[in-house]
Amino acid sequence: MNRATGKFCYAVLCVAGFFLAATGIGTFALGKPPMTHWVLMAHVAVAPFFALGLAAVALTWSDLCRGGVESPLIGPAKALFWVILLAGLVVTLSGVVPMTPLFGTKGEHFLYLTHRYSAIVLTVAILFHLPMLARRRVNP
Amino acid sequence: MRQIQSQFSHLEPGHGKGWFLTCIIRPARHLVLAALGLWFYFILCDSRAEDVHTESRTPFLHNIPLHDTQGRVITPPPILGEDGKPQEPKANPYSTALTCGKCHDYDAISQGWHFNADAGTAKPGRPGEPWILTDPATHTQIPISYRGWAGTFKPSDIGMTDFQFVTNFARHFPGGGAGEPGKIKSSDPEMGRMLITGTLEMDCLICHQTMGRYDHEARYNALKAQDFRWAPSVAAGLGLFASFRNAGSIADSWHPGRPVPSALPAINYNRARFDPGNNVLFQVSRRAPVNNCYYCHTTETELGDARWHSDLDVHIKAGLLCVDCHRNGLDHAIVRGYEGESKDRTITDTAIDLRTHLVRRDNAAINEDDARKLARRQLDSEGGMIETLTCRGCHMDGRLGSPRLVHKGMPPIHFEKLSCTACHSGPLPASEPQVVHTSMAHQLGLPAPERGRNMAPVIVEPIFLRGEDGKIAPYKMVWPSYWARLNGTNLAPMLPAEVAKTATLPQPSSDDVARDPYNTKPLTDGQIEQALKSFAAGSSNGEPVFIAAGKLYRIENGALSARENPAGKPYAWALAHDVRPASQALGARGCADCHASDSPMYFSTVSARGPVEAKDDLTREMWEMRGDNRSTASFFAFTFYFRPMLKCIVFAAAFVVLCVLMHYGLRGVGSMTARASATKKEKS
Repeated sequence: MNRATGKFCYAVLCVAGFFLAATGIGTFALGKPPMTHWVLMAHVAVAPFFALGLAAVALTWSDLCRGGVESPLIGPAKALFWVILLAGLVVTLSGVVPMTPLFGTKGEHFLYLTHRYSAIVLTVAILFHLPMLARRRVNP
Repeated sequence: MRQIQSQFSHLEPGHGKGWFLTCIIRPARHLVLAALGLWFYFILCDSRAEDVHTESRTPFLHNIPLHDTQGRVITPPPILGEDGKPQEPKANPYSTALTCGKCHDYDAISQGWHFNADAGTAKPGRPGEPWILTDPATHTQIPISYRGWAGTFKPSDIGMTDFQFVTNFARHFPGGGAGEPGKIKSSDPEMGRMLITGTLEMDCLICHQTMGRYDHEARYNALKAQDFRWAPSVAAGLGLFASFRNAGSIADSWHPGRPVPSALPAINYNRARFDPGNNVLFQVSRRAPVNNCYYCHTTETELGDARWHSDLDVHIKAGLLCVDCHRNGLDHAIVRGYEGESKDRTITDTAIDLRTHLVRRDNAAINEDDARKLARRQLDSEGGMIETLTCRGCHMDGRLGSPRLVHKGMPPIHFEKLSCTACHSGPLPASEPQVVHTSMAHQLGLPAPERGRNMAPVIVEPIFLRGEDGKIAPYKMVWPSYWARLNGTNLAPMLPAEVAKTATLPQPSSDDVARDPYNTKPLTDGQIEQALKSFAAGSSNGEPVFIAAGKLYRIENGALSARENPAGKPYAWALAHDVRPASQALGARGCADCHASDSPMYFSTVSARGPVEAKDDLTREMWEMRGDNRSTASFFAFTFYFRPMLKCIVFAAAFVVLCVLMHYGLRGVGSMTARASATKKEKS
């Protein structure tokens, strides 16, 4: 993978992630949850881009973020990367699993809450991760 | 009383006791007489129930004496009279108030939901099925209710008296309420008739008999003849009305204010119903059988001969009774079963009285005021129990063996946006709502020529509207149709009798009557215009107009105009039955049951129905009926085409992320264990 691909993937992840955060957490914090109508449709429409971005970032960045390997990234940035991946996995799965007939009402509700709070964790992790990358001028 | 008078006769003024007699003895005598009078009154006329209860789940054998309206035990005369001649078993009709009321508190029962509409003591709650004043000849169909539900008229609003209400609707009205006024003025030309016809007492057997011998048709015929007092006896099969002249015709020849004829018809009793002890066996149950409820609460979705296609409610099929959920205590404040009902319940003084009695029975030390407060608190807290008898309440708790809610794959937002009934109740929605018949509107349960799909009033379901709680629920809907006079903004509907007198409405030929007994042929514009002009010529009480199919018809500049008008707005009430099994609920076949570009929930078309030609009729799509946004609904439905792709992408991406996490996670674990073993080797 070249540097541009890595940056592009991260950019896709961030842009899609912030859009999802704005619609999702924004509705939760400022509006009347749960999301409905156009906001929900926009949220769901952008979700695949986020998922693809996350997968691409996982593939392009993970080797750099291994522990015990020489890398331009500082330790906290590496740790946050793994938090982002883990939270991203939970967010995507808790978003898509409710669309399958696997869980009942209680399970669906649990997944809904899981989606909400893992998304908050993910957003916070990305928000902390970004400045760390900017300071270190990382080229994957 | 004579004895008492003689006891005091030596104290009369003529016996020389002066002031003592005037000031002490005479008032004392009056007091004693009054007390004795009151005592006799309570002994003879007290209609309060006796305080005897079995309190067992075994129904009490109701082998009981009948009482007439005077409280006298009904005893048919012996077969042979003193002169040896055969005698007919004639006697007064029985009174439910004084027969059933002997043990069951009739006054408390009269507070019940089925009887209290006219009293105005109960909150109206969620709009329910109205009575619909229907007259095919004048094409009138006016939703009526004493409860004041928006979109209905109170009888008094349209000039209908309580007596007229009773004569129109008693066929499916269990009595009490408007049929049993507290006081009858003999000078009132209509209500005064009840001095002869009798009042329409609550007929307990309509709901509680289990013998299957209650004759609704006989009751209907008796009520048509205004034999109100006799109707319960006739309907219960206790006997026949023993006169060629019915109470209505006797009342016709009576003048208000004059003495009531003393010789009113009797009931010719069936001797076989009386045992040697003069008791009559009633097979009754506190838990009313389903078929009894169905007499008034049938909704037939498959009309005519297609009735055999109709599935019953899944609860009935499972063996439940209506009253398993729609319960009531002695006050007969029956649980209607919708969510939020507890807020709409009225705790009446009678209910508090009853509960206070129980509280004081169980706690003799408590005083009346405290007992009433405690009773009030208890009744308030019982409101929560009512919520456990809703769909959600029952199925959340698994009450009565109900399957617990699962709803696999259904995002929880659906439970915030939809009532349970939206997916589970009524007929499966199609491209148009279907015409249904109800007992109250179409006189189901009474023999009549076959009722077709155009029989007035045309009621359609399911219409998916948003209720006061913001949830989408299925509704029944009917469009009012009536002739009226418009004064400014005030619209005064005319009763059919008035319309028939003045309007020039088309008279169906005898052939038409035979073929179309319900006069379902729609009015043409020309016929409406002609009728409106004939009204205008006859009166200066306001501009004559016709409301039908959502429009207001009037003469403007000499020609007929028809425009949509709020007066023609349909009346809708929520439906809850028949409940379909879960496998037939909306959503059981997937999201596209509702989220498709042609799903009935959003895009079925609803046309205003009425007795007019379907020309330029008002048609709305379902989303429009509830004020939704079409583009949102259709775009949302469109997104479901991409839903499988979305799932594939997201699952694939999640799989990649999971693999990466597992790969590096395991590598990390491997390197840690390698490092640990290397450290161990170094140490050794």
